[in-house]
Amino acid sequence: MDLTRRTVLKAQAAAAAAAAANVTLPASAQNILTGEDLQLQWSKAPCRFCGTGCGVMVGVKDGKVVATHGDMQAEVNRGLNCVKGYFLSKIMYGSDRLTQPLLRMKNGQFAKDGEFQPVSWDQAFDEMARQFKQVLKEKGPEAVGMFGSGQWTIWEGYAASKLMRAGFRTNNLDPNARHCMASAAVTFIRAFGMDEPMGCYDDFENADAFVLWGSNMAEMHPILWTRVTDRRLSHPHVRIMTLSTYEHRTTDLSDMALIFKPNSDLAIMNYIANYIIQTGAVNREFVEKHCNFRMANTDIGYGLRPDHVLEQRAQHANDAQISSPASFEDYAKLMSQYTVEKASELSGIPKERLEALAKLYADPKVKVMSLWTMGFNQHVRGVWANHMVYNLHLLTGKIAEPGNSPFSLTGQPSACGTAREVGTFSHRLPADMQVNNPEHRKHAEEIWRLPHGLLPEKVGYHAVQQDRMLKDGKLNAYWIMCNNNLQTAPNTNNETYPGYRNPANFVVVSDAYPTVTAMAADLILPAAMWVEKEGAYGNAERRTHFWHQLVNAPGEARSDLWQLVEFSKRFTTDEVWPAAILDANPGYKGKSLYDILFANGEVNKFPLSEIDSAYENREAKAFGFYVQKGLFEEYATFGRGHGHDLAPFEMYHQVRGLRWPVVDGKETLWRYREGLDPYVEKGSGLQFYGNPDKKANIMGAPYEPPAESPDAEYDLWLVTGRVLEHWHSGSMTLRVPELYKAFPGAVVFMHPDDAAKRNLRRGQEVRVVSRRGEIHSRIETRGRNSVPPGLIFVPFFDASQLINKVTLDATDPISKQTDFKKCAVKVVSAATADAGDVP
Amino acid sequence: MNHECHISSLVVHGRPDQMPSIVEGIGAIAGAEICGGAETGKLIVTLETDTEDQVVERINAIQLLDGVLAATLVFHHFEPVQDRE
Repeated sequence: MDLTRRTVLKAQAAAAAAAAANVTLPASAQNILTGEDLQLQWSKAPCRFCGTGCGVMVGVKDGKVVATHGDMQAEVNRGLNCVKGYFLSKIMYGSDRLTQPLLRMKNGQFAKDGEFQPVSWDQAFDEMARQFKQVLKEKGPEAVGMFGSGQWTIWEGYAASKLMRAGFRTNNLDPNARHCMASAAVTFIRAFGMDEPMGCYDDFENADAFVLWGSNMAEMHPILWTRVTDRRLSHPHVRIMTLSTYEHRTTDLSDMALIFKPNSDLAIMNYIANYIIQTGAVNREFVEKHCNFRMANTDIGYGLRPDHVLEQRAQHANDAQISSPASFEDYAKLMSQYTVEKASELSGIPKERLEALAKLYADPKVKVMSLWTMGFNQHVRGVWANHMVYNLHLLTGKIAEPGNSPFSLTGQPSACGTAREVGTFSHRLPADMQVNNPEHRKHAEEIWRLPHGLLPEKVGYHAVQQDRMLKDGKLNAYWIMCNNNLQTAPNTNNETYPGYRNPANFVVVSDAYPTVTAMAADLILPAAMWVEKEGAYGNAERRTHFWHQLVNAPGEARSDLWQLVEFSKRFTTDEVWPAAILDANPGYKGKSLYDILFANGEVNKFPLSEIDSAYENREAKAFGFYVQKGLFEEYATFGRGHGHDLAPFEMYHQVRGLRWPVVDGKETLWRYREGLDPYVEKGSGLQFYGNPDKKANIMGAPYEPPAESPDAEYDLWLVTGRVLEHWHSGSMTLRVPELYKAFPGAVVFMHPDDAAKRNLRRGQEVRVVSRRGEIHSRIETRGRNSVPPGLIFVPFFDASQLINKVTLDATDPISKQTDFKKCAVKVVSAATADAGDVP
Repeated sequence: MNHECHISSLVVHGRPDQMPSIVEGIGAIAGAEICGGAETGKLIVTLETDTEDQVVERINAIQLLDGVLAATLVFHHFEPVQDRE
């Protein structure tokens, strides 16, 4: 590269950054020459990594992605890009990329104890179909299941839901989003009757105070954090309060950091509610017009196996989800127990700081945006924690308007779009409908053109239950797509791995890389990823966005969509549906599941000629129709006219995403508020129309202790989480050498005093031991995360140090989401422990 | 022998009162150049490095400077550099 070219590129780089930051550069730096042709084909796509939903421009040269930059036209990130997005171009080109199906074999036959050998797609699907058919025949639909993903595209999740529920007649379908946002999703329904936030990212530019509940936004949602930073810097009255169990980069940059003891967030929020009530800050008119009060069942256990002593002892382990109508007075009485003294004692936060926080919520002039992610959701009282923050916003009427916004952030790019909106949870159908509601099933059967009574009503196994049932030999044919469950599930050595290797089970994993989960399977199917297929995601602010296929997947790798639809061809209705249903509906006899689910007159009604000729579309060509459009339009039927309206398919290929409900081509930024949301009736001011009486529920619940706390032997809290440079379990980002080097090998973050007490030095090898298992790691007493005494933090991305061997499989009893944020461990020197083996 | 040349740019948000020391700190980082923005609290910085690693290293170094609130990438381009001998 010669000097002129370097100068030109640098000028372009500076101009892009200046435009993104809205900064005017001095004339000398604006010297952009346009003569250089970089020979790249640029197209838009959403970033593949987190739930923020940034837009990126993807540069393709000679059939390969070679460059990316933030999309200036994307409202979410306005040209900015975080480290993860920056290296998107390399994610697809790891040297160990899977390019053909691999089956465990011995002597040319499938064998559970065989070695992986390459096979054709036909061989792979033959064996897989044989196994699934055998299980369906011998044990029925409840022995078949699938574990999906918040990284599935919208149509992949939708196709999976149809195949499992309508094809195999089982609701044993759950996404990895169960581990990440089930508590948020369940509470939205309980409080508002409709899932997903009422506000959107535009709240960042309208709020006076940001309260971060356990969220390390600076590292986990860096692009949104720049919007918070921008607001803070340009409006000096704005305040940022961060609550966390340890100090991290977000607490560094906050106006006030409140470090609390694990689980005491419940007491803090109840104290704030009490403060609001005691100081007369309740917005009476709002509460009377728009809210109901309810009291939750208490003493609800910890979602462990039913024979666990903690479950036996709990009064309401089996009806944890029940709540009863109550009055404002009942609620105020429960809250009155939470004095500032009590909250301070439970949390360890000084009283003045708690009062300062409570004042922000109570002051009617301060617009508050509350933000949270895994700290609330991965919590044995995650549903309660979500309710409690809504309670604060509802009591004060600070909700559903610009800047006043309880906002649940998400972790995965389509946890909202696919897991929640499409309904790939074991209890859900599209558009917030539920499998155990006969009206909802009937509606789905009509849209899917299925015989009445076909869809199963029983709620399927949720994520943690799937692992338990695999281990117990009750779930035997199992397909895992687009996630690395063996690394991310809790207590994996005791509850997950045994199920995968149980000889009674056949486990299939579709992935782009040989993750630990794939290596524990019986059949590995190579997957196409991101811009190797046409896709659609839905982000945390209800924004649906699309991309085209830009490059081909390597070798035999095929998208999850192709895999699901192609596999359906191998089953006939006679093999998988009950004779009674077929006798009553003879028209369905002898048809393949492909005919019923995908060539059904709806999904296959858009011809190949509708595909943009500038782009490849392998799936559409394979099936002979525009399969993505057909699936999307059929799916959109569920929500149109019901508050979940999606725009016509083509529109999403033009724009940088739209926030639903999209009515008459217009997106909705704030829901439930008259003038902002077309579904709210004139003259009503505000309606929480997800509930029949159009009111939201304020739910009273107490503080309850966690499932496990430190004691004399296991004397430390263990908190797990992630760091900026790695995405979740690292199966994609660890392929990028630069990211691996930026944070090599997991470490244990420990307070220097705790290290000194145990005679441990920084960098020393240690064992982290719980009642369930142990890992080896190294001590870190400095660096970006600074933990208080009595607590350690371990990131969970490193396959060589599976921290989830140590964690506890306790879940929220209502949402069934795992609590990865607190269990009891001890840390001892590895050298001491090994001493016995030295001769 | 083949080398690579990586050109990238970032936006660095800093506390306005600490801008002079941030500017100085970035100036001391190899391959980093400030193109403007100091008066707005948002510095426009370009990086010229030989590897992608160095891009990550430099960002980390900038993020750890006192007063820096966020350092965010915008643009990245790389291409091989051939020795002309």
